[in-house]
Amino acid sequence: MERERSDWDRMVKNLQWAIAGVFVLFVGGLIIWIIHLIRTAWWLGDVPSASIGISLVAIPVFLVLLGVVLYVFWGLLTHQREE
Amino acid sequence: MVEHKDVHEEILLAPIAQTGPGFYWAVAGLAVFILWGAIAYAVQFHQGLGVTGLQQPVSWGFYVTNFVFFIGISHAGTLISAILRLSKAEWRRPITRMAEVITVMVLFIGAGQILIDLGRPDRMMNVIRYGRYQSPLLWDATSISAYLTASVVYLYLPMIPDIAVLRDRLKKRKLFYSVLALGWTGTEHQQRILNRAIAIMAVLVIPIAVSVHSVVSFVFSMTLQPMWHSTIFGPYFVVGAIFSGIAALIVAMIVFRKAYGLEPYLKPIHFRYLGQLLLIMALLWFYFTFSEYLTGYYGAEPEEMKVFWAKFIGPFWPFFWAMVLCNFVIPIACLARLSQRTVGKVLIASLSVTVGMWLERFIIVVPTLSFPRVPFPEGVYSPTWVEWGLMAGSFALFALFYLLFTKLFPIISIWEIQEGRETGLKEVEERLLTYLPDEAEANILAVSTRGR
Repeated sequence: MERERSDWDRMVKNLQWAIAGVFVLFVGGLIIWIIHLIRTAWWLGDVPSASIGISLVAIPVFLVLLGVVLYVFWGLLTHQREE
Repeated sequence: MVEHKDVHEEILLAPIAQTGPGFYWAVAGLAVFILWGAIAYAVQFHQGLGVTGLQQPVSWGFYVTNFVFFIGISHAGTLISAILRLSKAEWRRPITRMAEVITVMVLFIGAGQILIDLGRPDRMMNVIRYGRYQSPLLWDATSISAYLTASVVYLYLPMIPDIAVLRDRLKKRKLFYSVLALGWTGTEHQQRILNRAIAIMAVLVIPIAVSVHSVVSFVFSMTLQPMWHSTIFGPYFVVGAIFSGIAALIVAMIVFRKAYGLEPYLKPIHFRYLGQLLLIMALLWFYFTFSEYLTGYYGAEPEEMKVFWAKFIGPFWPFFWAMVLCNFVIPIACLARLSQRTVGKVLIASLSVTVGMWLERFIIVVPTLSFPRVPFPEGVYSPTWVEWGLMAGSFALFALFYLLFTKLFPIISIWEIQEGRETGLKEVEERLLTYLPDEAEANILAVSTRGR
């Protein structure tokens, strides 16, 4: 019974960290995409300043979102019981 | 005596625990429209965009109208909910969840309109591979991605304590709720973390939401097309978005209030406050519309005037005047006095605004393209059954997503209602006292005034 319980808890925890991992991949993918667009604009001499300007706003926004999500996941999952 | 906590949980979890025949009837009804939409899409996918009414010069029609409309409605949620949360408006508590769900659902549907408009969805890969940040279309893609991500996070975070209730009380979907509850046990530490994260998100989503609709307007205003090239398009679109968002929220509230018996939570006072907000937005919308058209008329630029008169007395006059009727005349008539029959009046005004704001988006998109600046022949747009089907399907899909959400999660935040009862009342009293002059200070001041 005790073992079943711990297996269940482990599976739940793994899935929770997997969700956090998917979110990291999602935000990472978006940032890579934005950097790819800057690189393309740079190579083609196609007004790279526009891409850089927009990415200076967009990338920090996505990073803040990622930070908030990881903060919540870390904070809640590591403090499930009152110490 | 039964505790308040248990009573709230019982009432608000009832739609998830039990499913009546009404739900299946609603799903069946929506499925008919979704099927119509699916068939329409299959025909368009197979035969190409030629089956639609889109042609040169009118290359944007219902799909882009729907895109702007749905993205506008998305402001219901996150923006209204975040503003009410940050301003500590206590009456927000039963409303915020409904608003946040609207945002997430319509953003998916709105973004989907662009895929439909592309004709060939595989061309989306071109945006990923060869996108150019000089184009406002790509600004749109980026800001909508940010808004969708932020909205999902902002919807999810305040749901965590309620998901933990579902995990502990419901016998079904144990794994699903256990995973999403993130081990929530309601410790002080967990509450501190969650409150901090919600506060950060509430601050973050406001500029993102404003940027999204500004950027949507830039798709039009960055061109030199008549009646699109306007400096006030950004704020005009944002105002329209909040306006239609509030209307959509009120309609959703009234539907679910009736369907799930939520009258004790969604009281006439909530509708009165939202009705007042809607009235303010109606006046603001009229102000922006008036400014926009007056400036165009005064400039009297020939190409601009062609579009102007096409809207006022030309082929688009029924849509233009219906828009004015739905967005201004009817809401003002309904919302000017809300002391009696509040819910009914607010519902009529909201339905009217929803229709009116769709017409507004149509009136912005189509007439300009029908009378282009470049020497194209003028064109008339007439949507085919494919476009009507996809529009009906999109609306039905949104309603279905919303309905399914209410069967998985409580549509009114349980913990926020409890928090309102347990700590909110005391907090409001304390806050109110800080607004008023301090008694001791007032007495000292009175004595010194007398002495003088």
